[in-house]
Amino acid sequence: MELGVFERKSVPRYNGLSPLMRGTSKPYPLAVIAGVVLVSLLCLWGSFESYGFEAVYQRQNSDPYLVGQQFVRLEALLSAVPERAELGNLTDASPGSTTDSAMFLGAQYVLAPRLLEKGAAHDLVIGNFTRPDDFAALGQRYGLRLQRDFGNGVVLFGKEY
Amino acid sequence: MIGLFWALEPVLLGCLLVCRFSDLAAIRPAWVRLLLIFGAGAAGGIGLTSCLFFIFGVLLGSLVAAMVLELALLAWVAFGVYRRPIPVFQSGEDAGRPLLFPVAAGSLLLALALAASTAWNGWAANPHGNWDAWAIWNLRARFLAAHAGVAQRAWSPVLGAITHAEYPLLLSSFVGRCWAFGHSFTTLVPAVTGWIFFQALIALAAGGVAVLRGPTLGVLVALVLASTPSLLHEVPSQYADVPLACYFAGALVLALLRRPVLAGIFAGFAAWTKDEGLLFLAVFLAATAVFRRRDALAAIAGALPAAAIATFFKVALSRGNGYLLSMSVPGAAHRFAIMGRYETVIAAFGRGLLDMAQGWYHPILSLIVLAAALRFARERRREVAFSGAIGATLLLGYFGVYILTPLDLTWQLQTSLDRLLVQVWPVLVLTAFIGLRPPEAAVTVEPVPIQKVSKKAGRKSRR
Repeated sequence: MELGVFERKSVPRYNGLSPLMRGTSKPYPLAVIAGVVLVSLLCLWGSFESYGFEAVYQRQNSDPYLVGQQFVRLEALLSAVPERAELGNLTDASPGSTTDSAMFLGAQYVLAPRLLEKGAAHDLVIGNFTRPDDFAALGQRYGLRLQRDFGNGVVLFGKEY
Repeated sequence: MIGLFWALEPVLLGCLLVCRFSDLAAIRPAWVRLLLIFGAGAAGGIGLTSCLFFIFGVLLGSLVAAMVLELALLAWVAFGVYRRPIPVFQSGEDAGRPLLFPVAAGSLLLALALAASTAWNGWAANPHGNWDAWAIWNLRARFLAAHAGVAQRAWSPVLGAITHAEYPLLLSSFVGRCWAFGHSFTTLVPAVTGWIFFQALIALAAGGVAVLRGPTLGVLVALVLASTPSLLHEVPSQYADVPLACYFAGALVLALLRRPVLAGIFAGFAAWTKDEGLLFLAVFLAATAVFRRRDALAAIAGALPAAAIATFFKVALSRGNGYLLSMSVPGAAHRFAIMGRYETVIAAFGRGLLDMAQGWYHPILSLIVLAAALRFARERRREVAFSGAIGATLLLGYFGVYILTPLDLTWQLQTSLDRLLVQVWPVLVLTAFIGLRPPEAAVTVEPVPIQKVSKKAGRKSRR
């Protein structure tokens, strides 16, 4: 089946060689030459400006939320938790802050297809902390038992029954 | 590297499908034909394989079926193209290129090389993309690529509470497909995907304008787009905005070239890429019905498959998630009546347009210079009205969404407006270029009827 069957024969279509593609026989007016050359130069200027700006910008904003580092931090956890798991998430980052969102979403990105949910309402809960603390005591406050400390502020809690 | 193969194979599949089933292969000269086949094929192939993976790999749960079907389709269409080769025209049929063409073409090649370097810097600095890439698009791709039968987590309300699980899945599904088929979560895949969409956008715009308005303007439109700072900034971000811009521009170009089915297919893919694409689909079909009534049914037929997937996803799969539209309804009348919101949004739109500049360069400068040098052609009013109506209605729609949003208006404008303008910018540029008089028109000798010539000659001899 041709896609063209939907299109009526009487509708003019742009096939073959457009009349504008044919050879020319007069010299271009100066305004046209100047216009095309000026636009070419303007666009190249824009390209160089963008290149210069982006080179500096990207250097200064290289992985600002440390997503790449999360793969290293959470590597051991990946092998400790099955792919189908749904996990709770505890953190010491101030709720609603950029750090909180970046840590949570960064962990979710690395741990997917495991599903993270904020809070301690799951059998398995990961602790994703910015600084050292007494994680066992912290877990007990939520009825959780510290199962494993992976270092770098990453721990795994289990529900205490 | 195997992931990269699966990212490039849809480009081949799409190009072969375009060669086999559309008559874009009949367009001359060869470079325009190749641009259109690549542009339509690359973006179309990515859209098609994304849909196939979503249906067979995700919904039906058979990765093997998705892969086998795709490869069988590739083999079948390749055989079809082999049996019925692309028409090859004599080189003499492609007339000599006008004088200004090499100037613009040389500049374009340099601009594309700089664009590639710019994008490379972005990928090197942020291989996982910017915030929305790893928090939305690539995150959901990781769920879709999972072998553990947990792909539906990509639209889970649990995920929806922290990120946009209700967004359509063309990009995530395509990236997830490459990762699943390649058994590797390589960051090359989303990076290359963004670059392919950027190249397809440039190719479609250049090829379409070259056919409609001559080769010099075709290359110049590519040059203007390839040097737009805000567009270049978005290419390495791995967001869905560049793919969406590609589908917007592709649908418009193909509609102007009188390929309504292909145009509809692109509009459908736009709806499956992002929520703004749903608005585009409605606007595009309405504009087609008004300005190109004969093409309307064919465009609807083309849009139907991808639009059906997008609708099924929205209505049946991700309905547990909050939608901006449904969240906007309570209190909408109140927000609608606050004049301060209009002032804020208008000011933000003005700032957003100014912020498309880099240093002293603003892409609008190029359009102003071309308008002054070439002037606009009156006979193109209907085509300009068609594409202008689409661009203007999209902007109006975005404006309305900002007025009605229940979220913090300043935050919403700061985090999204620049990207929305990037989506619509190619449509606006195409509208301007469609209306311009081509440089070639200034040097084409109009045929003069013999009678007039002989009368003029007679008058001269009498003098």
